[in-house]
Amino acid sequence: MIEIKGLVKNYSTGQGLLHAVNGVDLKVREGEIFGIIGPSGAGKSTLIRTLNLLETPDAGSIKINGKEISTLRGKELRDFRRKIGMIFQHFNLLSSRTVRDNIAFPLEIAGIPVQEREKRVDRLMELVGLSAHADHYPSELSGGQKQRVGIARALANEPALLLSDEATSSLDPESTEATLELLRKIRDELNLTIVLITHEMDVIKKVCDRVAVLENGKIIEEGEVIDIFVNPRQELTRRFIKTVIDYSLPEGLEDMVIKGDLVRVTFKGESTHQPLMSLLVKKFQIDANILYGRIDDIQGIPFGTLILELRPNGGSIDKALDFLREKGLAIEVLKNG
Amino acid sequence: MAEIFANLGKYSQLLLDGTMETLYMVSASLLIAVVFGIPLGVLTTITRKGHILSNNTLNKALDGIINIGRSIPFIILMVAIIPLTRAIVGTSIGTTAAIVPLAVAAIPFVARVVDNALLEIDPGIIEAARSMGATPLQIILKVLLPEALPGLILGITLTAINLIGYSAMAGAIGGGGLGDIAVRYGYQRFRVEVMVQTVVILILLVQLIQWAGNKIAGYFDHR
Repeated sequence: MIEIKGLVKNYSTGQGLLHAVNGVDLKVREGEIFGIIGPSGAGKSTLIRTLNLLETPDAGSIKINGKEISTLRGKELRDFRRKIGMIFQHFNLLSSRTVRDNIAFPLEIAGIPVQEREKRVDRLMELVGLSAHADHYPSELSGGQKQRVGIARALANEPALLLSDEATSSLDPESTEATLELLRKIRDELNLTIVLITHEMDVIKKVCDRVAVLENGKIIEEGEVIDIFVNPRQELTRRFIKTVIDYSLPEGLEDMVIKGDLVRVTFKGESTHQPLMSLLVKKFQIDANILYGRIDDIQGIPFGTLILELRPNGGSIDKALDFLREKGLAIEVLKNG
Repeated sequence: MAEIFANLGKYSQLLLDGTMETLYMVSASLLIAVVFGIPLGVLTTITRKGHILSNNTLNKALDGIINIGRSIPFIILMVAIIPLTRAIVGTSIGTTAAIVPLAVAAIPFVARVVDNALLEIDPGIIEAARSMGATPLQIILKVLLPEALPGLILGITLTAINLIGYSAMAGAIGGGGLGDIAVRYGYQRFRVEVMVQTVVILILLVQLIQWAGNKIAGYFDHR
């Protein structure tokens, strides 16, 4: 669906050239929800804006459905943009138009005849559950409702691709949940591809199929969301995961009580059902003390985190850990005793 | 004092004519100023850096023209453009002739008011329209002007009130209207009651225009 190669976008600032996007390669598959996460200033906003050329890249190529788009200009560019929906953190609705007329706006721009326009707007209002608010102005709506207008508006021209620029970042937790649910629903019903940027790992966990972690304009890690959660390789990724699943132990505990090795074991799917603890004890003669345990669910796949204190009781910890790794568990040694 | 009250009704026809002349001058020049000032203001805004038709040279030129137009004192402008007034109206004296300098003075004023109102619009809204593939003209007609409408109405109200003030000055050099009456009767012939009455009418006019402007702007304001 989308294929980005060697993408670069620079800004000249007072202090010289800023590499907002610094050589990004990325593939987004058709029908998936692809998340890009990064701290503020990482270049995610610039990156997503290059996908509909709100930012013109300085180098690199962007192909959407096999067609190079980074060189489009004028009418060609406008026609191309009409086929891509975009939603924004601050909704960006027209305050002078009602819900109905806001949704009709992109249809007016595309020159859709009035009758067809009205039909589509009615359908879209139903899809996002705002039919009762058709004649309200944005100022009369809650944040969550405004974003639903934004989504309906973005879908009006029946795009194949939806770009979401921090769409839930200014919403309360409840509206965030509802908005993410709506995004998943429209992806399923309309066979849409969604690219979203966020700085909230929770959004990635709840709605994305795959994720890329962006730092200083570069992608430092990328993969299926569940795999990234189970086996993060980069420090920044770990920090993001900790915002959702905080397995840090109370301060001081490590020094006071813990004598053995401290190990984080992460497991998903099938392996959650295996009696691994008793295996450790029986087969490897290791004493395992559970300090922290939690089972999450990432879009239906069970996903567990354990912090274990391991002490050899005649056996070898290294062997035991190798065994767990073979079983498909992710092991991270937090501290050697 | 008694004399003032006794003469109150005496000049009613005169004052009515003067009011009508003032309204004629103000509304005609306002109309012309709006017709020319809005495009000038829009063009100034959209040629700014980072806006939809960014063009630094054109923007600086337009900005300069507006500033120069606004810095010339009206009384000097009025005299300076007499040749233009003659060319357009055929004479430089009278109510219709006064419309030319009034409009010329009000055009840059309206342009600045429009520019300011358009700059108030959240850039995110313009970006959203661009992301939908809107042409610059569509952005102007469907986004910029409708979104800025309450501000535009208040700005035009402000212009109308300024024009009432300017029209009194135009009256002083033979333009007619309430200003003319105040000077000729009140000042030159010491008819205090006439002067007081013209001032009262002017105050009422200003109040009425401001009230109406606020109402209309409020009606269109959904922010």
